[in-house]
Amino acid sequence: MSEMVRKATIAEIVNHWILAVSCILLIITGYGFLFQLKPVYALFGSNYTMKVVHNWTGLVFTLSLFGTMFNYLHEALDLSSDDWNWIKMGGGYLTKGHVDVPPMGKINTGQKLYYLAILIGGLGIIASGFAIWLVQGMRTLTLLSHLIHNLCFVLFVVAVPAHIYLGTLANPGLLQIMISGMVPLEVAKKRYPKWMKEIGKL
Amino acid sequence: MANTPNKNNRKAILVTPEVCIGCRGCQTACKSWNQLPGQKTKNLGTYQNPPDLASSAFNIIRYSEVPSETNPVRWLFVSRRCMHCADAGCMKICPAPGAIYRTKEGAVAFDKEKCIGCRLCVAGCPFDVPRYDKDNKISKCHLCYDRIAEGLQPACAKTCPTGALRFGDRDKLIESAKQAGYGKIYGEADLGGLGSIFAFKDAPKLYGYAEKPNIPESVIFWHNVLKPLAVIGLGGAVAGALIHFAVIGPHKDEEVKKS
Repeated sequence: MSEMVRKATIAEIVNHWILAVSCILLIITGYGFLFQLKPVYALFGSNYTMKVVHNWTGLVFTLSLFGTMFNYLHEALDLSSDDWNWIKMGGGYLTKGHVDVPPMGKINTGQKLYYLAILIGGLGIIASGFAIWLVQGMRTLTLLSHLIHNLCFVLFVVAVPAHIYLGTLANPGLLQIMISGMVPLEVAKKRYPKWMKEIGKL
Repeated sequence: MANTPNKNNRKAILVTPEVCIGCRGCQTACKSWNQLPGQKTKNLGTYQNPPDLASSAFNIIRYSEVPSETNPVRWLFVSRRCMHCADAGCMKICPAPGAIYRTKEGAVAFDKEKCIGCRLCVAGCPFDVPRYDKDNKISKCHLCYDRIAEGLQPACAKTCPTGALRFGDRDKLIESAKQAGYGKIYGEADLGGLGSIFAFKDAPKLYGYAEKPNIPESVIFWHNVLKPLAVIGLGGAVAGALIHFAVIGPHKDEEVKKS
């Protein structure tokens, strides 16, 4: 058995799954609202039930998004010239074979940018969502919130499928990190050299 | 599209403020037919009562005191109610299927059972018409869709003693108002044509109506741009992932010989 290192804590994995499931439920009900999709409403029994599910799932999503800030925010803000070079070569995703990308830490540039986009878009969709839900009698605020909520929604429906693809099909083995949290040491050395150096494994 | 009224069979209410005597029989008839409860009111120094539309007041007579060049005191009476727009902001923004719907006579009616209480229709309405009842459900004039479907007039028009409210085929009402000498009919073309149309002698704003009523820009942008983008975005992301997988394939940590 090759040596394994822990990449994600149990708390992080649980929180990520809460975030993922709530996010997808919100997207599905979101499309239901956006296009008045009767089959989606039918899944929930009544129009009103779907709204209740959407709103309260929004609260779950809010809490777990705040939870991610303990896991990824510090790392995501730690940008260097390596990140810029990583972006310039598309993270190696634009070439068929293996390419050497600049050394990465625990999360790579793409994940950092994805996280920051989700965090900013998430705060926007959360704030506007609660405003639509709870604030009454302020027409301009409701209209602005409606606009922001939908702008952020577009970001989510583009970014989330890309994130799912990159975490599964595009990177075989990566999904394991969100299940057991463990990565073989040899793999980690190749993918996360900066992090390995930090913890003295490289 | 079910959203826009059928031009051939569109009904309307023609409001002629000139002949309104401010008796408010229309308000009473509406309450009576729709079994709307009374409400606590407030004296705001005018005969306008209740002060504004409410969940239990689908129509009101607005009393405006407006001086003119020849007359220092003029009292204008005008019926305020849902405009039953052809291009209705409330229907556009409503997320709940069937909550706000178009009847075959062109009325904008609602179904409280299907309303989810989000209040977006309030924000989307150019005329500040929809109200919410104590159960947090939409409540507004529905052109007595239940009466007109049976060939009756709406309760308000039935009651009006002077002809200030007239119900009928929209085209015919417009024609008759023009024959009576009203050059411009308010609502003839606004928002695709309103279902409450007004024969004003003066500028609409004297009666409390916007010269050019519009659905909020943000709602139009959302409808025309963001809604399609939400589909194109998702489709693009999924298609992009599949194409990437087919053309470039999964990421490799090191150079491997293709088997």
